[in-house]
Amino acid sequence: MKFDPRTKLIMVFSFSTLAVFVIDIYLLLVVLLISIVVSNYFKENWDFLKRTKKFITLLIGIVLIQSIFSPAGEILLSINHFTILTTGGLAKGIRVILRMLIIIISATIMTGSSPREIIQALIQWKVPYEIAFMVSLSIRFIPILGEEAKDAFTAIQLRGVEIDKLNLTKRIKIYSYMFMPVLSGVIHRAKELSTSLEARAFRAYPDRSSYIKLELARKDYLIMFVSTLFTISILGIYIIMG
Amino acid sequence: MKKAYRDNEAFIEIKDLTFSYKKSSVILNNVSISFYKSEITAIIGPNGSGKTTLGKLMSGILSSEQGSVFLEGTNIKGITLGNIGKKVGYLFQQPERQLFNPTVKEEIGFAHLFMGEPKDKVDKKVSKIIEELSLQGLENSSPYKISRGERQRVALATILINEPSFLILDEPTTGLDMIKKDKLSEILKNLQQQNIGMVIISHDKSFIKSNADRTLEVSGGEINEV
Repeated sequence: MKFDPRTKLIMVFSFSTLAVFVIDIYLLLVVLLISIVVSNYFKENWDFLKRTKKFITLLIGIVLIQSIFSPAGEILLSINHFTILTTGGLAKGIRVILRMLIIIISATIMTGSSPREIIQALIQWKVPYEIAFMVSLSIRFIPILGEEAKDAFTAIQLRGVEIDKLNLTKRIKIYSYMFMPVLSGVIHRAKELSTSLEARAFRAYPDRSSYIKLELARKDYLIMFVSTLFTISILGIYIIMG
Repeated sequence: MKKAYRDNEAFIEIKDLTFSYKKSSVILNNVSISFYKSEITAIIGPNGSGKTTLGKLMSGILSSEQGSVFLEGTNIKGITLGNIGKKVGYLFQQPERQLFNPTVKEEIGFAHLFMGEPKDKVDKKVSKIIEELSLQGLENSSPYKISRGERQRVALATILINEPSFLILDEPTTGLDMIKKDKLSEILKNLQQQNIGMVIISHDKSFIKSNADRTLEVSGGEINEV
C-alpha cells in the first residue's frame, strides 16, 4: 500500500517528538517497538542495521560517559573509589540509546519515498521551493559524500599509514586530514551546481508549476490523525502527571 | 606493441575471483589472471565493465568472498591496506580524493612524517621526487589550485615516495592534453626502467598502444587478452 510522503513525515515527526519528550524507559521501549513494526510494515530496507554493528562500541561508550558524568542511585561498578557505573547513570545511557534508535528507525520510514516526492510534499505544505530543493539536494548528496570520505580513508591507508598501529591522538589527527578532500569536493560541487542551476534558469520566474501532484487519500488522513492523537495523548498524560 | 621479458613469479595473482556489488549483477565472473612486475599491462573495456573494480580488488580496496588475490604469493586479505600501500601504489581516477595537505611539499612527505620518519630524511626524498616528476616551483602551491596534470603528478609523487614495486593507475590520462600525456609516458617509462610494474586502466587507445606491453579487455564479467 502506497502512502503519501506527508503521512510518513507526520509519523516520523510523531515518533521523534515522543523520543525526545518521553523519559520512562519502558514507554520509550514501547515507542521503539511500534516504530520497528511501522517501519517493517512499510517494508523498508533493514540493511542499515548491519552497519550499526560498528556503532556498538560507541553505544557502550555513551552508557559509560552518561554513567560517569551523571552518577545517581546505587553504585554498580567502581575502581579505586572512582565510580564508573551507577543504576541512575545506566538508566540515562539506555534512555539516550533508545532515543537514538527510535529516531533512526522512524527516519527509515521515509526511505520508501523518492526525494522528488518528499520535495513535492514540502512544497504542498507551502515550504518555499528553494528550501525544499535544498533538502532534496542534501539527501541526494549524502551517499556521494560517504563514498568520497571512504575513498579518502582508503587513500590515507594506502599511503602507508597503518591506522591500527596508531594511538588514539594520532588516530583522531588522521581522521581530521580526511576533511580536506571531502570539503574540497563539496565546495567544488557546490560551485558547479550553482552554475548549472543558473544556466537552467532556476528561480527565473516566481511561480513554478509541477508535473507531480500529491493527493491525500482517506488512509493517509486516518494515519495522520492516529499518529497525532497518539503523540498528543502520551504528551498530555506526561504533562498532567507532571 | 612492445614485448617485454616476463618474470616467472606473478607479482599480483587473481585466482577464480567472482565479484558483484550489492544488489547488482556479477561484475567479474570466476576470473584468473596474473600481473608481472616486468611489464605494463593495460586494462580496457566499456564503461561499467568492471575495470576500476578489478583495480580496486588488486589493491585490496575491495575484497570478494569468492576467489582470492595474491600479492607476492600472500593472500591480500591477510595484509593491511597500510602494508599493501608500501608495495602497490594506487592512483585514483579523481586524484584530488587522495590529497590531504595545504601544500604540495607537505602532501608528498605527509605519510612518512606522520609515521615518525626523521624530517631531514623525508625532505631529501621529497626533493628527489619533486625533481623526478618535474614539480619544481610548485612546492608551496596548494594541490587543489594547480592544473589537473600537475595534480595527477603530485598524487603520483605521494605514491612513489613509498617506493612501491607496482602501480595501478586508474584513467591517468583523463583531462590531459598531448604534451602532458607525453610527459606522463616519459615518467612511466622511467619507472618501468626502475623495475616498477604497472597496470593502466584506460580508454585512451593511443596512450595504451605506446606504453603497454600487454592489453586485457574486461567485458561481460570476463577478462581476455587482446
